[in-house]
This record gives sequence, structure tokens and C-alpha cells, in this order.
Amino acid sequence: MTESGVTFDPAQFVLDNEYARLIKFAVRGVAVNDQTLLVDDIIAVGAHKDYLSLDSTLARMREPSTSQILDRRVREDWEADGGHEVNVKARAKALEILESHQPAPVDPDALAQVRAIVDTADRERGG
Amino acid sequence: MTKRNPYAGIVSGGGFGLAPLSEHDFRQIHLATLEVLEKTGLFIESTEALDLYSDGGCIVDRATRTVRFPPHVVEDAIASAPESIALYGRGNAAHDVVLEPGRVGFTNFSEGLRIVDPRNGERRDSTKQDLADIARMADYLSEIDTFGVAVGAHDAPVRTAAIHNAEAQLLNTTKPVDAGPIDGKDVRDIAAMAAALVGGEDELRARPILFMGACPVSPLKIPAEACEIIIECARAGLADNILSMAMSGASSPVTVAGTLVVHNAEVLAGLVLAQLAERGAPVIYGSSTTAMDMRLATASVGSPECGIISACVAYIAKQYRLPSFVAGA
Repeated sequence: MTESGVTFDPAQFVLDNEYARLIKFAVRGVAVNDQTLLVDDIIAVGAHKDYLSLDSTLARMREPSTSQILDRRVREDWEADGGHEVNVKARAKALEILESHQPAPVDPDALAQVRAIVDTADRERGG
Repeated sequence: MTKRNPYAGIVSGGGFGLAPLSEHDFRQIHLATLEVLEKTGLFIESTEALDLYSDGGCIVDRATRTVRFPPHVVEDAIASAPESIALYGRGNAAHDVVLEPGRVGFTNFSEGLRIVDPRNGERRDSTKQDLADIARMADYLSEIDTFGVAVGAHDAPVRTAAIHNAEAQLLNTTKPVDAGPIDGKDVRDIAAMAAALVGGEDELRARPILFMGACPVSPLKIPAEACEIIIECARAGLADNILSMAMSGASSPVTVAGTLVVHNAEVLAGLVLAQLAERGAPVIYGSSTTAMDMRLATASVGSPECGIISACVAYIAKQYRLPSFVAGA
């Protein structure tokens, strides 16, 4: 929401969803146990190798945070891909959702009942 | 690999959070609130609410519509409101969500008046179709747990706009809906719409797909319409988000601590009404309280004060074992 809560911006809604996802990642905190301390791996890797292909890395490769709208690429790659600013990407995502996403439809009988309630309210006190 | 046997009886830490108040700070705010509720009380506009408060042990002055609260009545109400509130997705269990103190979830900001049209970037008054469109976005976006009235249907009749808003919400997302009734009649109509969608009133009570909101007016007033909403929600078994919108320096003291006392008194007065209408009624401790910008005389939403107050409110609600709902921007 912009202007102190006056104007809703669907692009900001998409970005806020991304921030919320990352905030929830952070508030979960840090697990400290033998499976996360990985002391044996640290000793085995030492100072001259890396952790890229260890079983512990591969097993948990989907755990670190990822971004969907925010862009983590190096500047050159971002520029080569058009250099779109984040609000442009967020707006494109908002349009994509609006054009493609349909929640489960409502049963026609229930829909008719809902419509009848709205119509009655309009007749009785809508004027 | 070295054998590392498990620790017995460990307490594991972890998790990032804020500690905006100490327990001592909270006790002071709580006692200050009880003192204000007992000595000054609130202006309560609705006669039905005055009857409930009177029957429930409050001191009611009908001439001035003032209700004063003995501390034990307030403490009883806090204790009888549930700590956990379950909300259900409409025909979609993946959208069921539990609201409990300490669990952090997100929703959209509500009651906007205008929209930036994503198709052309134009800023214009919002329509019912806009609310339906944003509802579909909320249905899609992974981190949005419940869907509030993002923008109002300005193309609907003013007096039934809340019902049109609820229709657009309920039909266009299967996530739990946060409806914005204006009075008790709206609560009944919106609840009837939701009941139609889930197969009846009993089904809605057992697996509510929506909650609603009621706003006291700072300082220390609950208008008749907000009283009706609180009472009707309690009777329908629907959670009510009792949400004050104090503005420190204008409708509450200039200090955060004093503002929290006024805010707390208003929400607890509403909570007492809900519990007197139906003991055990689910209540969410709400806040859209923020500071006034002293230079511009505007509500500074998204300011550090708004964040500080929201963090304090969440902490206070947690101490009361109530789910909370606080403003972002």
C-alpha cells in the first residue's frame, strides 16, 4: 500500500509477498545440532578443498533462501537480460497472475444464494 | 565419522525476534490500562452493549453512556478468549491457517481507496472488479494467509459496499477472508453469504472461512456500529479483530507508552464485550495505531513509530495469550 494506506499497488503486493517469504525464512532462526554443525565435514574439507559436492550440501541444497522477483545476479547479467528494475518485474508478475490464476469456482447454487443476499441488501438499504 | 551421542534434556534456542518491552514494562502498561478502565472507562454508544456490560459486572452510567471496568472483569475476559484461532480455506485445505501468539504470518493492507492499475500504471478510484482481481492475486501469492478488503468497491452503493466487498472477496479467493462490515446487519449478511458457500451456519461455525473487524475510536470510545459487530461476531462464533487506530500526539498521548495504554484500554473493552456476548468468543488483538507526523499532521504509516507500536502490541497480545494483527504499510 502506498500513500499511508490510500492506494493499493498490485506490483507492491507481489514484492511484499517476496519480502514476507524472506522474513519468514529469517525468523525461523538457526538450528544448532550435530547434523547442522557438520564438524566431521569441516575437518575433512580442511583449508584446501570446498563443500560444493559433499553429501551434506547436496542433501540440503534446496534449504537456502531463493529470490523470485528480487534479482541476485551480477550487474552484467542483469543488464544483458534487459536491465529491468524490480518494480517492472513485479508489475509483470502481477499481470501474469491476473491473466492466468483462477481459484476454484463456486458451486452455482451457493453462488445464487450469495447473489440473492447482495441483491436483497441493495434493494432494502442500497438506495 | 565420530559418534556424537544425543544431548538429553536440552533446550534449543533459535529464531529471530524483537523484544520491544520487558516483562516489567508489560506489567506497568497492564496496570495502567486497568486503572484507566476502572477510573475513566469508555464511552459505549450502543444500548445493547451497555446492557451486556451491566449484566457482566461493569459499572454503567446510562446517562453518559460510560462504562467502567472492575479489574477482575477484564482479567476474566482475557482468560476466557481462546489462544488459538483456526481459519479454513473455502474448499481448499491447503489454505487452512492457525492464528496463535508468536506465529508470524502476513496479510494485505486493507481499506484502500485507489489502485495503481497494473495494466497501464494509472492511479484511479478502485472498483469491485479491482477487489476481485486482488483477491485472485492473494489466492495465488504464497505468503498471504488471509485476504482483507484491499480496496473498496466505489462503484457499489455506499450503504451496501461492505457486502459487495465481501462478495468479491469470498468468490475470488479460497483463502480465509477478513471482511470489513460497517454494522451488525452487515455481519449477518456477510456471515449468511459465507454460510451459503460452506453448506450452512453450523458448518461455518465449525470451520469458519472468514473473520471480521471492528474499530474502537480513540480516545476511549466504541461507536454503536462497532459494538454491534463485536456482539454479532461473538454470537456467530466468528473471530473478530478488535483493532484500534490511535494516532499518538492526536488521539492518544504523544508517548508510545501512553499510546499503548489508550490502545490497550480500547481493545480490552471490546474484548470484554465479546466475552460477555458469548464467553469464549474468538478475538484477535488488533492494531493500526501509529504516530502523527507533528510537522505534517498526517498519520505516519510505515514510520518507525508504527513498527515500534506494532511490535509492542504483538508483545502485549502474546502476554495475554491472544493472536494479534498489526499494521505494516
